[in-house]
Amino acid sequence: MKLRSFKPLGAVLAAGLISLSAATGVARAADSTQPIVIPIHNWSSQIVMAYVLGGMFESMGNNVEYVPADSQAVYESIRNGDVTISHEVWQSTFGKSFYNAMQKGGVIDAGTHSATTLEEMGVPNWVIEQNLCPGLPNWEALADCHENFTTADSGGKGRWLEGPQSWHGDLMPERLEALGLADKWTVKFAGGADALWTELASAKKEGRGTIVFNWTPNFTDADGFTFIEFPEYYEGCRKSDGGDGKCGSPKGWLKKAANYKFPRTHPAAYTAFSRVDFSTKQIGEMAALVDTDKMDHKDAAKKWLADNEGVWQPWVK
Amino acid sequence: MPELLKQRKSLQFLLLIIIFALLCLIIPQSDNNWLWRLPPLLKELPGIINGSVDYLMFEWWPIEVYDAELDDYEQKPLVREFTRSVSSVILFMIELIREILLGGVKTIVAFTSWDWATENQWARWPALPWTVVTAGAALLGYSLGGIRLALLSGLSLIYIAVFGQWEPSMQTLSFVLIAAPVSILLGLTFGVWAYKSQVVENVLNPLLNIAQIMPHFCYLIPVMVFYGIGDHAGAIATIIFATPPMVRLTLLGLKKVAPEVVEAGLMNGCNNRQLLTRVLIPTARRDILIGVNQVIMQCLAMVVIASLIGAKGLGNELLIALNRLRIGLALEIGVCIVLIAIVLDRMSLAWANKQTDYFSSQSFTERHRNLLWFLAIFVVGVVLAYAGRFIFKDGFNYLYLIPHNKGISTAEFWQAGVDWIWDTFFYTLKGFNEWLITQVLIPVKNAYLSMPVVATFTLAMGTGFIVGGVRSALIVGGFLLFIALTEWWDRALITSYLVSVAVVISGTIGVIVGTLCAQKQSTSRFILTMCDTFQTFPSFIYLIPVMMLFGVTDTSVLIAIVVYSTIPATRYTVEGLRSVPASLHDAGTMAGVNRWQRLKSIELPISFPHMALGINQTVVFALSMVIIGALIGTDDLGQLILKSLSDREGVGNGLVLGFCVAFIGLAIDQILRTWANQRKQMLGMT
Amino acid sequence: MSSTTDSARTDAPVIQCESVYKIFGNNAKRLLKQANGMVDAAEFEKAGCIVGVNNASFEVYAGEILIIMGLSGSGKSTLLRCISRLTDATDGKVFIEGENIMSMRNRQLINLRRNKMGMVFQSFALLPHKTVVENIAFPLQVKGVSTKESMQQAREMIDLVSLTGRENYFPRELSGGQQQRVGIARSLAIRPDIWFLDEPFSALDPLIRKEMQDEFLRLQGVLGKTILFVTHDFDEALRLADRIAIMKDGVIEQLDTPANIVLNPATEYVRKFTEDVPREKVLKINSVMEPVDRNLALANATVKDTAVLEDVAELILNADNPLGVVDDNGSLIGMVRSSHIINVLFGARSDQSQA
Repeated sequence: MKLRSFKPLGAVLAAGLISLSAATGVARAADSTQPIVIPIHNWSSQIVMAYVLGGMFESMGNNVEYVPADSQAVYESIRNGDVTISHEVWQSTFGKSFYNAMQKGGVIDAGTHSATTLEEMGVPNWVIEQNLCPGLPNWEALADCHENFTTADSGGKGRWLEGPQSWHGDLMPERLEALGLADKWTVKFAGGADALWTELASAKKEGRGTIVFNWTPNFTDADGFTFIEFPEYYEGCRKSDGGDGKCGSPKGWLKKAANYKFPRTHPAAYTAFSRVDFSTKQIGEMAALVDTDKMDHKDAAKKWLADNEGVWQPWVK
Repeated sequence: MPELLKQRKSLQFLLLIIIFALLCLIIPQSDNNWLWRLPPLLKELPGIINGSVDYLMFEWWPIEVYDAELDDYEQKPLVREFTRSVSSVILFMIELIREILLGGVKTIVAFTSWDWATENQWARWPALPWTVVTAGAALLGYSLGGIRLALLSGLSLIYIAVFGQWEPSMQTLSFVLIAAPVSILLGLTFGVWAYKSQVVENVLNPLLNIAQIMPHFCYLIPVMVFYGIGDHAGAIATIIFATPPMVRLTLLGLKKVAPEVVEAGLMNGCNNRQLLTRVLIPTARRDILIGVNQVIMQCLAMVVIASLIGAKGLGNELLIALNRLRIGLALEIGVCIVLIAIVLDRMSLAWANKQTDYFSSQSFTERHRNLLWFLAIFVVGVVLAYAGRFIFKDGFNYLYLIPHNKGISTAEFWQAGVDWIWDTFFYTLKGFNEWLITQVLIPVKNAYLSMPVVATFTLAMGTGFIVGGVRSALIVGGFLLFIALTEWWDRALITSYLVSVAVVISGTIGVIVGTLCAQKQSTSRFILTMCDTFQTFPSFIYLIPVMMLFGVTDTSVLIAIVVYSTIPATRYTVEGLRSVPASLHDAGTMAGVNRWQRLKSIELPISFPHMALGINQTVVFALSMVIIGALIGTDDLGQLILKSLSDREGVGNGLVLGFCVAFIGLAIDQILRTWANQRKQMLGMT
Repeated sequence: MSSTTDSARTDAPVIQCESVYKIFGNNAKRLLKQANGMVDAAEFEKAGCIVGVNNASFEVYAGEILIIMGLSGSGKSTLLRCISRLTDATDGKVFIEGENIMSMRNRQLINLRRNKMGMVFQSFALLPHKTVVENIAFPLQVKGVSTKESMQQAREMIDLVSLTGRENYFPRELSGGQQQRVGIARSLAIRPDIWFLDEPFSALDPLIRKEMQDEFLRLQGVLGKTILFVTHDFDEALRLADRIAIMKDGVIEQLDTPANIVLNPATEYVRKFTEDVPREKVLKINSVMEPVDRNLALANATVKDTAVLEDVAELILNADNPLGVVDDNGSLIGMVRSSHIINVLFGARSDQSQA
């Protein structure tokens, strides 16, 4: 008896479930309400852009969440779905981590910004102004000015302060070798970006020469920074790609990455994200709001969104 | 001669050194010579570990899981589902506390769904006004420890609020308030378990050693793979780091409980649970509380590292500030971290020491006085916050939540201070720096690298043998063998070079400062507080000024290590000297010794074993800092650990590298601890 | 080798031990089985075992104070712990009010301890984090008595051991004697029938010790517990005991009343203890009295049978005639003669020293 009386209830439940799933099926056209997880790294333009993108997604009715993450380790998290997107994938710094994760599966390429990046060895402008290495930015000038760039532990050679070895492996030592500069110059790997900026700051105070790895767009642009002009890059010129290694860095791309499920769970947001395209100038503006105008990152993003409706409104439509 | 050799350890050492020197001279430097470097037979190990982790996480035992987002069933591995459910529980608890403090929607979502919360935008949990939290903390402080604790906690929170670090501080607090109790509970559980079972103790001991010495970076990637990214991952990494000292101290404390007290508990009719919770743990309280103190310190020391895998709050703000070289701002954030640590520590201490008064007959209002006060504070705070909406027109309600970075800041002042240091000391230090690098560091480093592997083994195992016999020699040898068979022996030598120089400097400073401070009660207390402060103060902050002054060089790395590793050397020296029994002092005085003689012939020899354990801890601290050294720029194991964050085989590389670092520490630990124990036994101090 | 007990007792013993053995070591059980009850300490030691208690059998009756006396390492504390089952005896039976404690389940054991037993420890074993009153209330709270009720009872105990006014002190703030008063109060809090005391006064100064012994006798006078008391102090044993068991190397050498032990030491070992004992302080009239001889005239004065010799010796020695001995009811049960007293006090000793 009892069982029978349950039957109609079961039918109602089943019907309810079906209609519910039908409803969600219809709702599939819209984005899921699960939050989109945007990573926050430790440099200004990236953080402002994170809040800018967050603001865009929110204007589309999406929920957004920000999570601090290491800029190298984040690709593993995107792969696992713990983080949804990454909006600043620098070619030479993060290219390796990005492709590693893509190869393992779970990360998709969500397009490229029109901003090109340059990541190269260079000197702060005062080095040129004080003529510490006559002939710069041409690389050939390096042949006879290394004495101005020595440090206590460089063994009499001039020192290049390269980023952490995790960024591009032994690229710079190989380049020195290939260009025949290895007997005059040596490479020191810094532990992180902080170390690079500290080196710039302390060299500036002391007025001594320094050659450091740097990139643009970056906040150091404001102080004036000149990249050394090495022989032009071409496909396959690097030692690791089988070339002779006598070449500088290419103009790098700046990509966007996303978790493979993102297009399916948030189709509208994904479409907007894939349309997002910042120029070098725009990224510079975002960084400047924080670095020069000393604004808080969130406020900077708000201001940027308010000032540039014409830029981002078409993406979210 | 052989008879003499058996008795005199100094002669044995001399002989060992001669053999060592001969080996160094004889063996030629060549890549194919096994006596020079062992072949990297363990080269494949990282790959294997990586493969197994991948298999475990992504393939082993798949189960069907319904994904509401995709409206589809997906194959998901069991382990991953399990670890992720652990994650979500921890995350829920963190968010719960966080949203009580700062407001939000996650807790509501946890009970409903994102769909519901999106549709019902009114369903947002409001934050507690900062005035309420601050006054509440002061009240809590008052009820636990009187007016002093009330002032400490109240003023600390006012500092945090006024300097515009309220939001990140509360985020950090909410994460520490989960990580610390979990660590304490886990520590207690394992400590008790080890107390009850010798087998468990034997298994736990090496694990604890490894967990304590292994640089925290090594398990960031595994934690991330297993538990995902976010506050929960940060909390889990923190728990792994903070639990071992708690286990240790719990076990130590329990072992010290007099057997008669246990018997008394039994005869009073305690069952097992009562015996544990009401007799054993309270009686072992002194050591357990030191454990709690350590847990809190370790938790806040991990704040910055934890932010690398998603913990929100002060750590993250600190990294961002440092990346823009805003040292002043970073310093203010650092002070917030230290303040939170001290307030939590003092509160937990006061709570544990609290007494109840059973006899005063209290009226309802008296008994619930604190609650009533809090209600009053709450009402006033809310009214103020509401009024604030009309006072502050520019959108920031300073009586509700002081927005991040909208408080006052003394950053400029500190920045000027750093500039002043630079202007004043740079040129003096530059000469010193160059001398140190060219005359000391580079020669030492080269000396380390020019040791043939056989010579290193002879020296290490020989020392082990002289100190602790065959057993010690084999243990030390085993640890070294693991490292020698990886491809990173040279890097391990560089790490050892940095650590040994740092330990010599730290040990010297620590013993001297500790000895001087231990002469008086007041200076002892002062220096121990300083130790606490430096232990929680994020080392990242002084990296920048140090790098400014000393450049991206080994000197900077060394200073970073020394600042941190001097802490245990100092602490143990002070503790060791202070624990010399008063009767011995009197005996000395009656024998007519002067102060220096007393120190030299009574206090130092008695406290020497304890100080040796301090040196042991110095080694451990120094090793755990190699990763910080890597952030400046080194070419040792630390650099590769940092690199493993982006490696394809990051999990395996990171772990194996971590083991290498840990094994260096364990080898030294074996020798020092054996020696200290023998010495203690000789002095009848066990 | 145990001696006679007062077999006159017909009521059931409160505590009863039957061939209790405690042997420390890995294969103690197996070795014991092989030895078949005949344990030789030296042989066991060769096999890596240490004999703690060797074949102990005795009874303790309601309201009696039995003192186990022995030097350190004699196994007295171990025996006490076997009886309270703080350690498990290797073999034998221990009955508490007729129930074998060795076969009790943990729950039963806890119940027994919560309701029937109290124990005092040499090092006081107070809980350092609890105040005086909390320490005393602890056994009650463990039992599940409400806070209010347990505090009430603890206060009564505090009054009983004269610590009124120090309820909220911590143990570290008290002197040794005061701490042991707390220990005593705690052991009595649940109003146990059986009271174990493990060298309770050994850690105290001699003066305090004397005071505490008096206190103990006073308490026992009021409470009338069944007591098992361990000490290494023979004087203490003589002073407090109804009966004494003297232990050596795990064996009970002699178990008897203080007077009998002093007068008739069963072994050489026991004799050594008794040699220097001032007998007048130990012996009571009932142990030296003779049956009433109707032919002799008794003096006018009488002495009580439980009086200690020392207190009445002068009276007896000064009397010309034997004195009558009376019991509590005042009825005549014997007589003492001065010549006999002199013989007991001095004569026997010279015999022994010659022997």
